[in-house]
Amino acid sequence: MYGKRASQLLKDQACCENGQFTPFNSDLFDQVISECNEHSLQLQSLIRKIEEQNLDMQTTRNEDHFGAVIHHLSLVRNKRCLMAYMYNRAEIIQGLRWKVGPVLPQEMQEKLNYSEEEYFKNHSAAIEAYMSELDLDLTVDMVPPKDPYIRVRVLDDIGEVCLDDHSISLAKHSLHFLRRTDAEPFISQGLMEEFLE
Amino acid sequence: MPGYYDMDDILMEDEPISVVFQVGAHGCGLLDPGSETIDIEKGTKMDLPYWLAHQLHLRQAVSISVPASFSQKTRKEIQADAACVDLKGRCPYFYELGCKVAPLVGDKTIGSFLLYAFTDRYKEMLSKSHSASAVPRFSSRLTKEESQLFQAARSSMAAFKKWRTGGSRLEKASILGRKRKRTIPLGPSSP
Amino acid sequence: MSGPWSEEAEEDASSLAGTTDVELIKRAWRNEKAAPEILQFEGPLVLRVREQIQLLEETVEESTENGSNDLVVSLYQMDLDRTLFLLRSYLRIRLQKIEKYMIHISKTNLWNRLSEQEKKFAKRCTEIMEKLLEQSVLARLPYGYESFLKQSISSEEDDMVPEPQLDTFVFCKAKDAVGAFQLDDSGDEIVDLVADDLYVIRYKSIKGLVEAGQIDLV
Repeated sequence: MYGKRASQLLKDQACCENGQFTPFNSDLFDQVISECNEHSLQLQSLIRKIEEQNLDMQTTRNEDHFGAVIHHLSLVRNKRCLMAYMYNRAEIIQGLRWKVGPVLPQEMQEKLNYSEEEYFKNHSAAIEAYMSELDLDLTVDMVPPKDPYIRVRVLDDIGEVCLDDHSISLAKHSLHFLRRTDAEPFISQGLMEEFLE
Repeated sequence: MPGYYDMDDILMEDEPISVVFQVGAHGCGLLDPGSETIDIEKGTKMDLPYWLAHQLHLRQAVSISVPASFSQKTRKEIQADAACVDLKGRCPYFYELGCKVAPLVGDKTIGSFLLYAFTDRYKEMLSKSHSASAVPRFSSRLTKEESQLFQAARSSMAAFKKWRTGGSRLEKASILGRKRKRTIPLGPSSP
Repeated sequence: MSGPWSEEAEEDASSLAGTTDVELIKRAWRNEKAAPEILQFEGPLVLRVREQIQLLEETVEESTENGSNDLVVSLYQMDLDRTLFLLRSYLRIRLQKIEKYMIHISKTNLWNRLSEQEKKFAKRCTEIMEKLLEQSVLARLPYGYESFLKQSISSEEDDMVPEPQLDTFVFCKAKDAVGAFQLDDSGDEIVDLVADDLYVIRYKSIKGLVEAGQIDLV
C-alpha cells in the first residue's frame, strides 16, 4: 500500500512519550524518499502517455489521468509525513536549549542526524543572540519563584564553580543553600536536586 | 490548513476506508498487494487510507461506504454500555475520523452518535482519572483523543495534589530520562 | 480608535485605581499565555518594568551592604524575583509562539506586533528551519514538490504554513461591563458581558476585545 512506510516513520516517533524522541531513522527515511521518486517517475510516464495521445491535460479524465492523480496524492502524502517527522523533531530540539543548556548530552546527540545537530546549534545561537541583545538570561526562572534561596543536595561531583561573587565547591552528596537562579540549571541537568525536609 | 505538521491528524488520515472504484486507474497496481496487473479496474473494491479515499472521492473516482466503526452493530454496543466498548481497537481516532467521514457518506446520524458515545464515556473517564492511582485497565479501551483527555485530567490532578502538599517545583528536565522515581512534569503554568 | 496601548490609554490605565506596572505586566503575561496568537509587544511597559527591576536590585545591594535586617532584604529580593519571573516568562512565551508560527506571522500584519529583537529572532528561526527541511527533505524530492510553503506546484496558495487555532476556547473576564456582545457574524448569539464574571468563549469571537484591552484572559 502506498504511503505505509511514511506512516510507520511517524508512528515510531509518535509512540514516544511527550518530549522524548527516537534515534533518527535514516533507513526508513531514505526508503520514503525513494518511494517519492518512484511515484514521480510513474506520474511522468502517465502524463507522457496522455500527451502522446494528443489529449488535453486539463480536461482528460481517463484511466491514465486517475493513475497520475493517485501517484500525485501519494507523493504529497509522503512529503507531508517526511516534513512532519523533521518538523516535530525540530520542535523537541527547540525545547532542548531551555531544558538541558547549550551543550547536548552524548546520549541525545546520538539520536540526531547531522542536519539536526546543526539545527540545534543554530537555534541555540538564535536564542543566545536574542538574550544578549536584551541583556537578560531567559533560561532561568522556568517556574514561578517562591524563595530566593533554596536548599539543594548535590548528586554528582560538580567541582569548583563560580557563583556570582564567590566560588564554591560542589562535591557529591553535599548540601548547600544557594540562590534559586544559580541552582536552577544544575537541577534541570540532573546534577542537583532540591532538598526538602 | 491549520495542521499540516500535526502528527495526530496525519496518523488519523491513515485509517482505512472501504471504497469502490467508479473509474479505472492505470499504473497503480501496487496499491492492492493481491492484484496481478498494474492497473485498477472500474468496480474494484478495496480499503484505502483516508487521505487517498477522501481525495479520490472529491474527484468522483470512488464511492465510500460507512466504515465498520460507525456501523449499526457498534452503535448498539455503545447504547448498551458505552464505557465498556473497546473503541481504540476499532479505530484509535474514532471521533476525528467520524467527523471527517460523516459528510462524505452523507449519514447525518453519525454526528449525534459520536456525541452520545463521547458524553457517556467522558463521565466514566473523568471520575476514574481523578481517583485511580495506577493506570486502570479500562484506559486501553480509550481512543487517542480520549486518552489525551484522560492524561490531562490525571496530570492536572497530580499537579494539584503536589501543589497542596508543597513538593519541589524545580526538577530535572524530563527528557534526560528517569533514573529515580517518576515525577510528573510541571510546566511553567501555575498562575 | 487608535488602540488601547497608545500612550494616553496606557496612562489612563495606570492611573485607574493605582494600577502598577507590575500588575500591568502580569496582565500582559496572562493574556499572552492564554491567547492562541501573538499579541502586541508591550514595549514601553517592558522598559519601565526593567527600570524598576534595576532599581530594586540596587536597593537590595545597598541594604545588604549597610547590614539592614535580613528579613527586609529577603522581602525585597522576593519582590524582585517575582517581577523578574513575570518578565522572563512573558518574553519566553512570545518566543515560543514565534517559533511555532514564524512564517504565518511574517506573512501577516502580526509582524508589526513583534519587537525589533523578536523580528530578528523570527527571521533567524525561519532561516534555520528552512535550512533543516531543505537539507533533509525538500532537496531530495522530485521537481514540483520541493517547496517549503506549497505541497506541490499545483497548490494555489501556501498550504503548509502552521497557523494558530483562533477558534479555541479561552477563559476571560471583563474589568468593566462590556454589555451586549455579538459572538458570531450572523448575530445569532449575543451575550451580555458583565464585569468580573468569568466566561468561556471562543477566542475568535472576543479577539477584538482582547486587543482593545476591554477583556482579560485568565
